[in-house]
Amino acid sequence: MKAFAALVHREYIEHRGAFFIAPLIMVVLVFLLTILAFSVDRINTRFSGQMLTVMPTWVFEAGFAALAAGWLAYLGFALFFYCADGFAADKRNNAMLFWKSMPASDLKILLSKLAAALTILPGSIFAVALISILLMFGVAYVTTMIAGLGSTTLLWSILGIFAQMSLVLLVIIACALLWYLPYMALVGAMGTAAGRWAIPLALLLPSLLSVLEWVLMGGGINPFSTHVWNYLHYRSQFPIAFDSLDRVWEGQQAFDAMAFLVDFLQKFDWVQVGIGAAFAFVAIYIASEYRRRSAAN
Amino acid sequence: MTDTSSTIEPVVTARGLKKKFGRKEILHGLDFDIPAGRIYGLVGHNGAGKTTTLNAMLGLTSYEGTIRVLGEDPFARRAKLMENVAFISDVASLPRFLRVRELFALLSNIHPNFSTDKARSFLEGTDIKPEMKIKTLSKGMIAQLHLAVVMAIDAKLLVLDEPTLGLDITYRKRFYRRLLEDYMTEERTLIITTHQVDEIEFMLSDIMFIRDGDLILHMQMETVNEKFSQLVTNEPAMQSEARALNPVYEETRFGQTVFIFDGVPREKLEPLGKISTPTLSDLFVALMQRPTANPETAR
Repeated sequence: MKAFAALVHREYIEHRGAFFIAPLIMVVLVFLLTILAFSVDRINTRFSGQMLTVMPTWVFEAGFAALAAGWLAYLGFALFFYCADGFAADKRNNAMLFWKSMPASDLKILLSKLAAALTILPGSIFAVALISILLMFGVAYVTTMIAGLGSTTLLWSILGIFAQMSLVLLVIIACALLWYLPYMALVGAMGTAAGRWAIPLALLLPSLLSVLEWVLMGGGINPFSTHVWNYLHYRSQFPIAFDSLDRVWEGQQAFDAMAFLVDFLQKFDWVQVGIGAAFAFVAIYIASEYRRRSAAN
Repeated sequence: MTDTSSTIEPVVTARGLKKKFGRKEILHGLDFDIPAGRIYGLVGHNGAGKTTTLNAMLGLTSYEGTIRVLGEDPFARRAKLMENVAFISDVASLPRFLRVRELFALLSNIHPNFSTDKARSFLEGTDIKPEMKIKTLSKGMIAQLHLAVVMAIDAKLLVLDEPTLGLDITYRKRFYRRLLEDYMTEERTLIITTHQVDEIEFMLSDIMFIRDGDLILHMQMETVNEKFSQLVTNEPAMQSEARALNPVYEETRFGQTVFIFDGVPREKLEPLGKISTPTLSDLFVALMQRPTANPETAR
């Protein structure tokens, strides 16, 4: 287990640029720009502060949700490119022979890459996301103070929103990772064999499978009216419904994180998560056998 | 030409070791044992099958036949085997994104027989510092670091495949000296391949010559010295007599004719000219001639 954790840590060291340093730099730059905008009166501090107190809860929740959505999109792209590129990194970096000289099987090494994609790498972006949101909340609260409307009650309310929304974001990221696990494993497995070609292959493969079904078994009027395509379409959509949040968006009801999470987790398709996990393991196992048998030098 | 025997369990045993790439057979059924505590030189031309043989030993490639390293099937049990085997197949293979201290910290968790303290002590007196990124190190420094890493692993078998390729003579000499002084013990076995055979000759206990996928010489160095003789003569009459004794190799150097004999008693050769023991590089040239490639020098 110690060796596996070290291999996961190795992934973090190799890819911390994309998953921690670059996002952190982005946050610092945006924060500095925000401070600059306020300091040169590009943004009216007093007016902003007053606006924030009109519907304080909604503003902070919506702000959190918007920023979190942006970070989720970044996480999705970063993980996709990590799986396509990181699984072949040992070969690309000419370090395959070194890692093969270690008492770690190819399966263990590939599983450590997948484990990194499920834990420490998204965890880093989650941490940076929270920092960025905290900074945003901090700036917003300071403007309310400058407007003379800051209060301890508002501060506690903001912190409560931050804690609740952070929990929601954590659960959504965890469930999204589990939901998209088979895709990550498939792209990683293809990356092991084809390197960066896994990026176009990941887009091509579903189309080929659908066309294959259409050619061999018939179906709808076009090659994308097939069971394969419908299934992949379903598995590509994150199964989260925002219907229960309509009243929250309209400002008629406060957001209740626990109620939202209970509803979300109950409706989550855990059977598909299980099937996806089994598929992911098989894909990684096949990739590890390819890696074990292919020339290391 | 095999003259290696041992009563103790060999570290490496190969029987009928074959390897094909597509339809081309690279190794043609090698049989050999490598006992513990020896320093083996595996020598051959480019493409002769040295690296393929080492890769088979290290579980890096599949093969036909049987090979056991420390009693394990290397291809099936590479990860387990690597607890007791260390190797350098390419000095440029250290992960360049790591700092030296990060590399040591990772290895101390990944490898049960790696000692960070030993690795640090091997780097004392060098210009390599823990905070340095590997990608900033020179080629020679990377070789030193890689050697420090493998020497800090308490392994029973160390395999070095062209470990000093591209290094200057100073680094090469330092590399082999450290290996001998700081690493080798009676319990450890070292297998090394290099094209600079003269540089490792002093440290070898055994030699294996591989030519076009066949083992053409496998012998202890003491036996090599007893078995092979080099005769230098410039008298035409003596040269004719020498040829009658069936030399394995003949060439003309600076107006003198040099013969290499296999198994001819030195008493028979002494009247014909100056007798000496051939260096490994001379023996290599003598035994590795490929008639199709070098018809003018082959005899």
